[in-house]
Amino acid sequence: MKDIVVSASMKMADIIMADQRAMQLMPRFGIDLGFGDKTIKEICRERSIDPDFFLLMVNIFLNPHYFPNKKLKSVDVELLLLYLANAHEYYIGEKIPRLCSLVEQFLKVLNHPAKIQLQTFFNEYIREVLEHIEYEEKVAFPYIKKLLLQEENPESNFQEYTILEFDERHDNIEEKLSDLKNLLIKYFPPSNDRYLRIDILNELFDLEQDLINHARLEDKVLIPIVQEIEKDILKKK
Amino acid sequence: MAASVIIVENSEIIRKGMVDILQGSGLFDRIRELSCAANMMEMVSRYQPDVLFINPSMIDGQYRTQLVNGTGHTPKLAAIIYSFHDEALMDAFDEVFPINDSRPRIIKKLNALVKKETRGKTNPDNRLTPREIAVLKLLVKGHSNKEVSGKLFISTHTVISHRKNIIRKLNIKSIAGLTVYAILNGILGIDELE
Repeated sequence: MKDIVVSASMKMADIIMADQRAMQLMPRFGIDLGFGDKTIKEICRERSIDPDFFLLMVNIFLNPHYFPNKKLKSVDVELLLLYLANAHEYYIGEKIPRLCSLVEQFLKVLNHPAKIQLQTFFNEYIREVLEHIEYEEKVAFPYIKKLLLQEENPESNFQEYTILEFDERHDNIEEKLSDLKNLLIKYFPPSNDRYLRIDILNELFDLEQDLINHARLEDKVLIPIVQEIEKDILKKK
Repeated sequence: MAASVIIVENSEIIRKGMVDILQGSGLFDRIRELSCAANMMEMVSRYQPDVLFINPSMIDGQYRTQLVNGTGHTPKLAAIIYSFHDEALMDAFDEVFPINDSRPRIIKKLNALVKKETRGKTNPDNRLTPREIAVLKLLVKGHSNKEVSGKLFISTHTVISHRKNIIRKLNIKSIAGLTVYAILNGILGIDELE
């Protein structure tokens, strides 16, 4: 679905038929498959989802060049945080366990001296992803929530942290993931694993796409909005 | 399959010693000797050897290009080393044979060299040079740029530039990923890791 902007009058099923990645967004909004011919607008109304927010997420997710200038200010930050937290839950609860179990099976059938290093490398990578998520959940998101409270109630204490610190943390994770893909595609000698290696790579490509989207959402939407709020609060001081 | 080789070396003692080892290896059915580099180009184009042994002090760094352009045939280049040579020149070689290498070690390297695909034929840009392999090996053992520079007698600037090339060629950026690569390719033995 290149460069097509999804609008509220489109049918949800058509979006998924055109780009399967849209499927992953459904659970994050609590939408179950089986919605017949309903449009995005109708589904959002039924589920009390803000349709503008849903469209923003879908478009950012499906189209890497989509950049929402106008709508940025109207974005509900609390909704965004909830959405991001749901995505984290999906990584921790579904994606990472599945990947770990595939890699575990692969290592079982693998008979190669580099096996241990691959395992170490993989574990290190997963640990970094989890640490990053934990950092967001325990430091960055709570900070943003406090900032929102403060915006309503300027009397409360101001914190000496800015969202900029959060800005620079995505690179390592993407780098390691790309290394892992390269090792499996190019450098591990042929192994008698049937489809395991392909399954792992499929998961990695998928996770990579998702993480890139996730990072883009944070870098292009969340951080700019929070910076605006920070500025506003400083002005009021 | 037996291969052919030309040795270009001005020291007769060393050349004859190398010939003896090459004959003993059973890898080569035709060994030709040259005591000076003057006729080398002609010999290479006439006999199309699989491997060319050269004392690097007898040629300049441009030689590899000349060899490719001049003869239409690219042998694998092996250096016979008993003095110091500049880095850019050494990068042109597929394998390096210091004269104090033991016979089994030389034969092991020869085996690998003969089996190796020619650089010109496959992906000319992505094969690591012996120097890059040496840098990679130290890096994945946990040495810093500065330590590598001290161990290989090159500047940190050179280490960093090797490092960039390694990353570009392999498309692996993290040290952990490079470690896996090094073990997969026999650059580092499992027992060499701390």
